[in-house]
Amino acid sequence: MTPRASESNASRPVAWMCAAFAAGALLHVDRVPLWASVVALGACAWRYAAACRPLQLPGKYQRAALAIALLIAVLATFRTLNGLAAGSALLVVMGAVKTLETHRRRDRFIVIGAALFLLLAACLDRQSLLRAPLYLLHVWLCCTALAVTAHPKQGLDDRAAIALAGRCLLYALPLALLLFVTFPRLPGAFWALPRQDEAVTGLSDTMSPGSITQLSESSDPAFRVWFEGDPPPPEERYWRGPVLYDFDGYTWRRRRFVNFVETPLEFEGPAYRYRISLEPHFNYWWFVLDTVKEPPQGPARVRITPDRQLVSAAPVFEPTTYEAVSHTRTRALGPLSTLARRASTALPPNRNPRTLALARSLRERAGSDEAYVEAVLTLFRTGGFEYTLTPPRLDFDSVDDFLFNTRQGFCGHYASAFVTLMRAAGVPARVVTGYLGGEWNPVGGYYIVRQADAHAWSEVWLEGRGWTRVDPTAVVAPDRLRRGIIDLLETGSAPARIIRRTPWLARVSQSWDAVNAWWNTRVIGFDFRTQLDLLGRLGIEATDWRPLGWLLAGGLTAWVLWIGWRLGRSPAPAPVDRLARAYARLCARLARAGAPRAPHQGPLAYAEALCAANPELGARTRPLLERYAELRYGGTAGNEYEMKVTAFERDVARLKVR
Amino acid sequence: MDAVQPLPRAIETLERIILGKPEQIRLCLACLLARGHLLIEDVPGVGKTTLAHALAHVLGLAWQRVQFTSDLLPADIIGVSVFDRATQQFHFRKGPVFTQLLLADEVNRASPRTQSALLEAMEERQVSADGTTYRLPEPFFVIATQNPHEQIGTFPLPESQLDRFLMRVTLGYPDAVHERELLRNGERRELLARLPPVLGPEAIVDIQRAVREVHVSDALLDYVQALTERTRTRTDLRLGLSPRAAQGLIRAAQAWAHLQGRSAVLPEDVQAVFPSVVAHRLERRDAADASGHAVADEILKAVPVPL
Repeated sequence: MTPRASESNASRPVAWMCAAFAAGALLHVDRVPLWASVVALGACAWRYAAACRPLQLPGKYQRAALAIALLIAVLATFRTLNGLAAGSALLVVMGAVKTLETHRRRDRFIVIGAALFLLLAACLDRQSLLRAPLYLLHVWLCCTALAVTAHPKQGLDDRAAIALAGRCLLYALPLALLLFVTFPRLPGAFWALPRQDEAVTGLSDTMSPGSITQLSESSDPAFRVWFEGDPPPPEERYWRGPVLYDFDGYTWRRRRFVNFVETPLEFEGPAYRYRISLEPHFNYWWFVLDTVKEPPQGPARVRITPDRQLVSAAPVFEPTTYEAVSHTRTRALGPLSTLARRASTALPPNRNPRTLALARSLRERAGSDEAYVEAVLTLFRTGGFEYTLTPPRLDFDSVDDFLFNTRQGFCGHYASAFVTLMRAAGVPARVVTGYLGGEWNPVGGYYIVRQADAHAWSEVWLEGRGWTRVDPTAVVAPDRLRRGIIDLLETGSAPARIIRRTPWLARVSQSWDAVNAWWNTRVIGFDFRTQLDLLGRLGIEATDWRPLGWLLAGGLTAWVLWIGWRLGRSPAPAPVDRLARAYARLCARLARAGAPRAPHQGPLAYAEALCAANPELGARTRPLLERYAELRYGGTAGNEYEMKVTAFERDVARLKVR
Repeated sequence: MDAVQPLPRAIETLERIILGKPEQIRLCLACLLARGHLLIEDVPGVGKTTLAHALAHVLGLAWQRVQFTSDLLPADIIGVSVFDRATQQFHFRKGPVFTQLLLADEVNRASPRTQSALLEAMEERQVSADGTTYRLPEPFFVIATQNPHEQIGTFPLPESQLDRFLMRVTLGYPDAVHERELLRNGERRELLARLPPVLGPEAIVDIQRAVREVHVSDALLDYVQALTERTRTRTDLRLGLSPRAAQGLIRAAQAWAHLQGRSAVLPEDVQAVFPSVVAHRLERRDAADASGHAVADEILKAVPVPL
């Protein structure tokens, strides 16, 4: 066997390399197409099999053809190579091809580097707490593979390599913390990624009640709220999201550019200050307690629209934390602008004719707008309407169908019908979507608002009062205001309900959520402002990133000095074989018992010194030291030697020093 | 092992003659069992020659003694070709070097030419004269003595020559108890005549073979290399240890391990022989301290035993 062949077939480093890369590919298994994962795992298995038994690896031309085919496949799937998902998929398949041409040590380094890049991409993609241990394990795996590959002696066994990698990571930990805390997190960071390929989740900016026959009962968190002081009562916990103006008879849509001016508001009642930690929902709006007074402080560019939505300049791709002030009661100080009135009274012509007729007759009977609102609410209360999350599908004229036929629906149906009735009578009205309520988490001291708490209500313009919230759902199902949807509906088999009814499970679930909240606000949400706050607490008044830079440079210097000192203090390289490790353990334990071995002492001289210093301990230790001398310096022979080393390890572990 | 049995007896016999120097006795024996030549260095009157005699006697070897003086010629040691009138031919008359054990007393008094003739014979274990090569007997040892403090009319051995001696042993003054015994019982050499030899040439060759069999592990070679490396990197030394010196160190350690009844060499064995093997090969640049023992001890302390 030529040296080169023997090097390329050293199966252990190849196995570690394949493991590192396969694990890296698995981190992306639910993000890249299935075939890409299959290619990656298959290539790793092939490469490993080729290292163990005589098996042909693909030749130069086959590899080139494979690479081109996979590139085309990625292009065909994503129609681009730009963006995180396409980039990850490309990295997965190209790294897989690279594993098939690893012959030398250098090649293995490249593949392990690709595995680390996969980890980096995974970190950019998702940063949830559940995945953090996975990332940690993967970086450990990669470091172990590096240690096995890089070690000059082939003698570094697996356990030693794992330990070495773990130790290196521990050494790197202070550096990681330092960089985490002090690396200036400038807003609009250059590493921000184009994310146009993401799927949109959560609340959307359209609403078609008629098309939905099963509302989500997802208990995924939408956001969490910490109140400063008392929270508002439950019936006032409306979390404002997109406001929908445009109705085509079936679907409500948000207006992208609200072009009318705002009517000035007077804020009444107590001010509520709160902090919200928003989960990523890949849309532009930020949820706030209705009605928000001033935009949150912070680096992100956020504005309050004339209809009191909070809209950010960039979509919410990662957990975002902000503070805001709201009042639950307001009063308009002026008339509604013409444009706004036009937008909030428009209805599609020739749609829902029965509703229009009903509105006209009801408005005629009612003397005023207020009385008309009451009349419509009375209609909902007494008209045989039923609240359900599984409504029947609605007809083309959805409001007619709902009001006169099905009479079953959830918030969206009622809001849609109510606003249509208002507009049909010339009363300005609009649909507001968002969330209602929130569940108290005593562990974390916050309210959690879940996707299942999504809600839609309406606002009507009443002269002298301005925009007034009217929630027709509350008339039909008054409990909806005080209890969450999961509580409200006794049917169905959501696991969330089981958790809710078992106190200790509820406690565990709340604790877990509190930990997640901490992770999102303190770790993921650690931003430039938090950094400046931290500096302030350290007594450094900073307005820009320069003090952070100095802190970083100082910490970096301290870390380098520390590492230098650590390395300089232990000139002896770590013992690489089992016997040496066991002996080192023995010596360390005896040293803790007050009888350290001088570095130049051989085992027998050490035994003599021990006997002189502590005869009892010396007598018990001497046989072990003699066995070590025999194993280390005597003739070594295969299997029997290994067994003796194992016995020695065991007896060292059993030795009672005190 | 039957070869071990006579060894304790030999040591015991030597200890009865040379009082209070068990370590030096073992070192000397180890040197000879490692097929090395021995240099005994000390002031006059501490028993250098007695030790040499005792070794020769106890080992049971044929031995010759040469008192080195400044007018000693190479031929006086190696031998000379003389013309035989009866056969009308030149005939080589072998010198005192043709023996199993040569005692070279006060080796530093001879001229460098004579010294080098002896040292060449030591290294080659053969003598060339008039185009003929004569092999020296087996075993062949040289035990040389010298007095380091005598300066006038001496030719100190240069390092290259000192390297031929495997060990240099220093005796030093006896302690009070043993000096009293010496004073009471008188001349030790008379005692020597009454004691029987313990070993013989065959036994010694057997033991030497057994010494070569003593196991030397890779871990031990690591240690020896670390020690050797250390002598080469120290800036206060003129020269580091040569590979020949490192080989000698291992042979000496093998012999020491054999004397301890072990079948493998331990770092302790290397440490035991290290000062005697390397002290005369290491010379400080400042030369303030003539003895290399201190340096040897420093090196032993500074080099950790690999795990």
